[in-house]
Amino acid sequence: MTITETSQIGIAILSLNGTLDALSAPDFRNNRSVIDPEKSVVIDMENLDFIDSSGIGAIVGASRQKRQPVGGIILSCMNDRVRKVFEITNAQKLFHIFDDTIAAVDFAATRQSARA
Amino acid sequence: MKTILAFREEEYAWVHEAFPCIHPLLLPLCNKPFIEFLIDFAIIADSSSLRLLCDGGFDAVERYCENGSRWGIDLSYGSIHPDDTIHAMLGKNRKFCGEERIMIISGFSFIRYDKRLNYKSLANTMAAGEWATCPGGRITLSGMPGKTPAHWVDAPLSLMPLDGMASYYRASMEALESGADRYVLPGYGDEPGCAFGRNVVISKSVEIRKPVSIGNNVQLLADTVIGPSAIIGSNVIIDRKSSVESSIVFDNTYIGEHLKINGRIASGNRLNDPKSGASIAMEDPHLLSGIKKKGVLRSFPRKFTHAVAALVMIAVLFIPFVILRSLLKLRGQWKSARTDFLSEATGMTMSLGKVELSTASSLTSIAAALSMDRYGWLFRVLTGQLALIGSKPLPAEKNRLEITRSALSYRPGVFSYAEAEEWPSSDGDATGGDAAIVERFHIAHSTPLSDISLIIKAFVNRFQEKSIL
Amino acid sequence: MKFSLDNIDGRLVGIARLEGRLDARNSKPFQKTFLEWLEKTPLLVFDCTLLEFIDTSGLGAIVGCLRKALEKEGDLRLAGLNDKVSMVFEMTQAKRLFSIFANQSDAASSFAGEPNPGTA
Repeated sequence: MTITETSQIGIAILSLNGTLDALSAPDFRNNRSVIDPEKSVVIDMENLDFIDSSGIGAIVGASRQKRQPVGGIILSCMNDRVRKVFEITNAQKLFHIFDDTIAAVDFAATRQSARA
Repeated sequence: MKTILAFREEEYAWVHEAFPCIHPLLLPLCNKPFIEFLIDFAIIADSSSLRLLCDGGFDAVERYCENGSRWGIDLSYGSIHPDDTIHAMLGKNRKFCGEERIMIISGFSFIRYDKRLNYKSLANTMAAGEWATCPGGRITLSGMPGKTPAHWVDAPLSLMPLDGMASYYRASMEALESGADRYVLPGYGDEPGCAFGRNVVISKSVEIRKPVSIGNNVQLLADTVIGPSAIIGSNVIIDRKSSVESSIVFDNTYIGEHLKINGRIASGNRLNDPKSGASIAMEDPHLLSGIKKKGVLRSFPRKFTHAVAALVMIAVLFIPFVILRSLLKLRGQWKSARTDFLSEATGMTMSLGKVELSTASSLTSIAAALSMDRYGWLFRVLTGQLALIGSKPLPAEKNRLEITRSALSYRPGVFSYAEAEEWPSSDGDATGGDAAIVERFHIAHSTPLSDISLIIKAFVNRFQEKSIL
Repeated sequence: MKFSLDNIDGRLVGIARLEGRLDARNSKPFQKTFLEWLEKTPLLVFDCTLLEFIDTSGLGAIVGCLRKALEKEGDLRLAGLNDKVSMVFEMTQAKRLFSIFANQSDAASSFAGEPNPGTA
């Protein structure tokens, strides 16, 4: 899996490409923006082909590190396969999920400014 | 135009309790799943793209509706939070919405419409805002309206909340009585008020009084009286000399001989009174019972592998178990108590012995490392009550409802998937705990082979964890 | 189960309070107990306020009780059926066989003004 990181209005956007599983989860978990409890992160999953329980675990774990667990990690552009895994595990309840990355960034920005 | 259908679990929680086997969005109204009425209306109002949003699971709905090609539309799915406003929903689905006009149907309510009327021009030209509303449900329009046509025709539209068995019963009867004129209803019939599915066997002396709606594969045996106002689902048998009047009979139900069902909802072995809300589960299968679907064979390979693996473990651990247990019992460090746990079948409980290894000593840590405290549970795998690996068994008194909600994702096991994956276990929490996430993942994706490797992993993990102590 | 005798307008009425479940497990002993009650008086009331559940054998037992009471020229009347139990009586059409009252005292006083059994 590759992680491409960009930033927009102070929000980190991580684009995941490939497979998020037990092998690649540490890469994600150790990403600097993911670790930072203050930073809002939008995870763009458009090119994420597959996720397993370790992958979900890494994302859930990351959101637990954030100061605001529901708004700290925001997900966008899931394909159907990834969405189904989130649904089966009921992990979708822990996140705000957008179908558009820019909308997700807007949402994260308003959240952040509301908090400041 | 595009349509968003949005639901919150809280609105239909009562369905889970009343009819645990059915996803609320697939609740049949006059033999047609609830969601299809909304899809029909969206199509009549000129939508070709629909998005279904929910804050809970809708796996069963997705399997039923798929991508909507059956109705010639695009159907996609997304999730929302219980407190999302309409504005938030539009934001979360910005790509789907684009610049188009959007109709948002939210809430668990029945839409009264007439398929012969023109809702298309109304939906396209009315000012943005609320179109129809009722407690717990609303239809909202968003985006710029189109030009008002020369011939403005009003088409009445109203909503009726489905907030309990009584309103569900009323809505079903209303759909039946207004018949195929207003709604698109399933079944064939030569005359109005009479709809039959495929493969309906009607004995000679059966009396049918309109209006009725009968599903597929139904057997009406001699001298039964059906109707007036009877809705009979699919795979139903109604035995000799019984009558069904002003009642709803759900799919897969058997109704015994000489019975009179009037003003009731029968589902499986459960008889409900929609007016008082009373519900009784019959224990005599010759009165009322569920007709089982062929689900047993599918789980057979898993049950078999689990039983074989459990047998191996019983054999291997037998000698250490006998020695350690008698030693620990002598020292008073082996305490066992029986607790009721939820079993896999919805609403059932089973009693399991729970062993507490009190006070740490080298002997107890050996026993814990070898999972001796779970030894007794291995026998439950042979009887099929437990899986060898699955969810952590949940105590019966907690989270009863939560379990019926996620009935498919709970399979109590001797070991839990969370133990195999070394996820932090959360005590008895059915939804919030992170461990539940990994359990649900594996229950959905498990194969007998992957189970075996995970069983070994769970056993080894426990071994390492406990022997460190 | 509690059984008591009451004097209604000069007639001896037996009132039995049924409790919990009446099913295949306890319907046989129940019928035996009923015979003892029947020896005291053929005018009987079953107060079902505390009856939670009934299945076909329980229903069969109650219908059997009614038949025996009728044989002795008495009657068995029911009172206080809850919604669940009432649904079973309705569905099996056993409801038509019985006089059913809202509560125990209505059922008992309904025997007043009727001819005394055995004296008629």
